Amino acid sequence: METHLEVQAVSKAFGRVTAVRELSAAVPRGSVFGLLGPNGAGKTTTIRMVMRIVLPDSGRILFGGRDIDDELRELIGYLPEERGLYRRMRVLEHLTFLGEVRGLARPEARRRAGAWLEILGLADKASRRVEELSKGMQQKVQFAGAVIHEPEMVILDEPFTGLDPIATRQLKEEILSMRGRGTTVLFSTHVMPQAEELCDHICLINRGRAILQGRLDDLRAEHARQALRVESTAPDSELAAVAGVATVRSADGRRVLELAPGCGVEATIRALAAAVPLSGVQVVRDSLEDIFIKRVEADHDAVA
Amino acid sequence: MMRWRKVWPVLRREYLSRVQTKAFWISTALVPILLVAMMVLPAWFMRRTGGDFRVAVVTADGELAREITERTREHAAARTGPGRMTVTIEPVEPAPDAAAQRLDLKRRVANKELAGIVWRPETGIGTGEVEYLSVNVTAVRLVSELESVVSTAVTKRRLLDAGVARDRLEALTRRVSVRPVRIGEDLRETAEAAFEKSFALSYILTFTVYMTLIFYGYYVMRSVIEEKSSRIVEIIVANLRPMELMVGKIFGVGAVGLTQYLIWVIVAINLGVTGLVAGAAMSAPLVDPKLMIFFVIFFVMGYFQYAALYAAVGAAFNTEEEAQQTQSLMSLILVPSMLLMFPVMASPDAKFAVIVSLIPVFSPVLFFTRMTVQMPPGWQIALCLALMLVSIFVIARFAAAVYRVGILMYGKKPTLGDIWRWSRQG
Repeated sequence: METHLEVQAVSKAFGRVTAVRELSAAVPRGSVFGLLGPNGAGKTTTIRMVMRIVLPDSGRILFGGRDIDDELRELIGYLPEERGLYRRMRVLEHLTFLGEVRGLARPEARRRAGAWLEILGLADKASRRVEELSKGMQQKVQFAGAVIHEPEMVILDEPFTGLDPIATRQLKEEILSMRGRGTTVLFSTHVMPQAEELCDHICLINRGRAILQGRLDDLRAEHARQALRVESTAPDSELAAVAGVATVRSADGRRVLELAPGCGVEATIRALAAAVPLSGVQVVRDSLEDIFIKRVEADHDAVA
Repeated sequence: MMRWRKVWPVLRREYLSRVQTKAFWISTALVPILLVAMMVLPAWFMRRTGGDFRVAVVTADGELAREITERTREHAAARTGPGRMTVTIEPVEPAPDAAAQRLDLKRRVANKELAGIVWRPETGIGTGEVEYLSVNVTAVRLVSELESVVSTAVTKRRLLDAGVARDRLEALTRRVSVRPVRIGEDLRETAEAAFEKSFALSYILTFTVYMTLIFYGYYVMRSVIEEKSSRIVEIIVANLRPMELMVGKIFGVGAVGLTQYLIWVIVAINLGVTGLVAGAAMSAPLVDPKLMIFFVIFFVMGYFQYAALYAAVGAAFNTEEEAQQTQSLMSLILVPSMLLMFPVMASPDAKFAVIVSLIPVFSPVLFFTRMTVQMPPGWQIALCLALMLVSIFVIARFAAAVYRVGILMYGKKPTLGDIWRWSRQG
């Protein structure tokens, strides 16, 4: 897959604090890319460097194979974590203004602003002041402002914070539909289930460095330990004796069998069925969150 | 390095969002009214200090006493309208015991029977000095009335003593008024309405420059802080360079100021500010259009310097309250302009006036005020404009650097040292 955005060994320090350290990552064109990490990991700084809001101390950032500059960044739609609007401006005028700032000619900006208000169901609010809108409506306007110029890539910094469940679902649908149209989506989050649900690719960063990255499916296959959740009348000792089972523990009335390294799921289930009475078997895998926590803890241990 | 297609939307937004407010139109109408009021009200209040005053005149000279009494009566009769002042003279013969008489009269002043005492017991040419005793010796109008009446009366008395015929006294003691004529370029003579009115025009124009610099600089600062506190700034600098945003903002707010100036200038040229101030319908003395052009130029040059400084201040702080302290530093730059305005106006050619008026941050007020009094030589005008251009460039560089770093800094209030560091790294 073609690389759309590439960050090469980028570092950035603020005074004595190093926010990003030798970070490298590649965002494939047309993917949904998750930039994951705990608070303070360097996600926002990385994104700001891509948007040239702060400039890296060292390293390169390539967009479509070329060093990014103020013209190339026009091809990106950006929604920062800290975001707001001019409160006294009228809604249609505001969206038009954002369109112009993003590089559209005024008539085109106005046309698209009107169209977006239709899509968002805010057409009747066009001549209201921004401050008269509810918070949810303002968030929709902000989002529309970020993508009004139909960018090749959309970068969303912690887009789900502060959204109610309905708005969260709408945004998820919007992200997937943008991918459907061929737009690359990069978003940062520290909420793993969201990333797991949406992303094709992830980059996990901690304390300014990438500690895990790649296709989500590959990472899962590689890093997620597998386990079997079984319903059985057999005692723990009998279950533990089956070939391929490493440990047995009880969780909400069922037993969870961790598999020994190198043992396939299928072979272990066969062995179990032959050895003990079974009324139900379920394959469970580590969630992204489990992987995330384990890796971050391992990273801290490595330093400590 | 600046993309005007990017600057333009910011400029238009700043301009329209201000011009479309009622506040803009109200202030456009109100500022000239306020300024004229500031000129006219003190005089008006002064006139309200009228009333009836009884003044004892102690003199052995009956002729002099009569002259003073008559003159004040004439003046009182000539005055009409609100704030009219009448002075009644009570002639008093000097008593043999001067000390006792003086004490007695002072008691009457203390009892408010008398407003004051004019003490001139001697006759003849005298010392050229007369005592006036009162509890309130700063009642300017009363004192100047007495001064004028007593002085004329004594002069007449001296002339009489010198053998001048009584019927020639009026003609010989008539007041002489000085009519100002301004020597302009080409040595052309222009009659000035009056000293006070010409002063009023200088004052109004200069003060307008001063006030608008503060106002519009402050608008720029508020606008920057608003973008920070509403968290829209990051959305914008994702597509605009900070410099483009700052320039768009300064030009946009400046265009608002210019609009206001053009309205004032057009109205002033058509009405004649001098006519307004005099409170009389005067057709001839319109404001010099050339001076009006400099009025606009000096506002613009001053505005760029101050707006850039204010933009940097706004970018450094998170709230207006935080910015307040640094703003008082800003007034350290602006206030001397105001304090030096009168000395410079009084002697616009003095070396001191020339030097301070050429300091770029003072020029918008002080050099311009010199222009309103008399046009400085061409080389000074050229030097002044050149120095201001350099200053604009230097300040803009500094401000842009602080602005670039400051707009994304939230949290702790920066110190002046921090701001200096930002200006280095930006």
